[in-house]
Amino acid sequence: MSVSSPSVFLLSVSGQVEAGRFMGGDNLHFNYCFTAGQDWEVVSGLEECVSQTACCSDDERQLFVWNFPIDITYKSTNPFGWPQIILSVYGTDFFGNIVIVGYAACHVPLTPGTHTRRLKTFVPESASTIQKLMSWLTGRRPEFLNPKIIAQGRGREVTRVRSHGEITITFNVMMKDFAKLGYDCGAPSKVPYLGAPPPPQTVTVPREGQSDA
Amino acid sequence: MAEVHVVGQITGASGFPDSSLLCKWLLQLGGGWRLVEGLAEGQTQADRSEVGEEIVWCHPLDIHLSTRGIQGWPRLLLQVYRQDALSRVDVCGYGIIHIPTHPGHHTLHCHTWRPVGTFSEEFRRAFLGGGPQLLSTEFIHSSLERYRLSTIASGTVHLDIGVILREFDKYGIAT
Repeated sequence: MSVSSPSVFLLSVSGQVEAGRFMGGDNLHFNYCFTAGQDWEVVSGLEECVSQTACCSDDERQLFVWNFPIDITYKSTNPFGWPQIILSVYGTDFFGNIVIVGYAACHVPLTPGTHTRRLKTFVPESASTIQKLMSWLTGRRPEFLNPKIIAQGRGREVTRVRSHGEITITFNVMMKDFAKLGYDCGAPSKVPYLGAPPPPQTVTVPREGQSDA
Repeated sequence: MAEVHVVGQITGASGFPDSSLLCKWLLQLGGGWRLVEGLAEGQTQADRSEVGEEIVWCHPLDIHLSTRGIQGWPRLLLQVYRQDALSRVDVCGYGIIHIPTHPGHHTLHCHTWRPVGTFSEEFRRAFLGGGPQLLSTEFIHSSLERYRLSTIASGTVHLDIGVILREFDKYGIAT
């Protein structure tokens, strides 16, 4: 049986959006979306989803717990355009309008294993005082038409934001054939690089009367 | 040709005395390096936070580089600007940081500094803004001309950077 060298690698991400802490605002929900470069293709899982509406906890922790599962698998040939998760948190204001409470984004971790990320959130601000007054009167606060702009490096310099709140995400990352394509992401790989000689098998036998400790 | 992928984020900053900040960044490469894909410079959003709280920039970096040698390892030049109530922008921190050479995820903290002026210049800066700034970014990355500057500490920029290397072990380079 011949082993053909792979041309794609798989990246599987599971985990959950655990909880958030936001001052003010109640009945929060979020939607998440994944975005990735051109070479990336979703094999299975949902790219976009909306969570349930969570209320603030009654105790001193003041937490919004969503415990929302994420599970997605990507296929790619090139690490450029590594997937990012974008979270947009929405809440209701005093009049019952749904308003934006925070945006956050981060890359999926590059190394296999379990990772926890604590993301700070921010909201865009009105550019002028008149717009600030108008948004206060109409109850429509500024928000991004397409939240995927926060995953882009270009065109960010025109936005002004105000930051508050944070959100915690846990990722479990698994990769297939990443090392076989010659990439090194710093993970201790059990599969030897293709073409590398097998590691020498050394067996140490403890002598009698000696303990391992 | 060995390849390097830099994937990460300029997450934010802390320790600056001003509350509305933005950051310009520039990737600097040595002679044998080539940018294959991605942006090599940019500017973050301007974030306003409570004084003492952390600034959030959440600015993604995704850079694909190829190289013929390991000299001139890429580094990031950071220039932090503050924005006052009248939307005037002036410098409040310079910094430089090397991309880590070890593959994997790294949380980096870049301490920044700014040139300090005479007493009257600092007095003007405190009330009117402005203040001395570098005419050329060469002073940030060149270690030859630095001795002529007198500087004062500014805040810290935080970065989350992941590095993926390709075929470095094939050329016998240990990172």
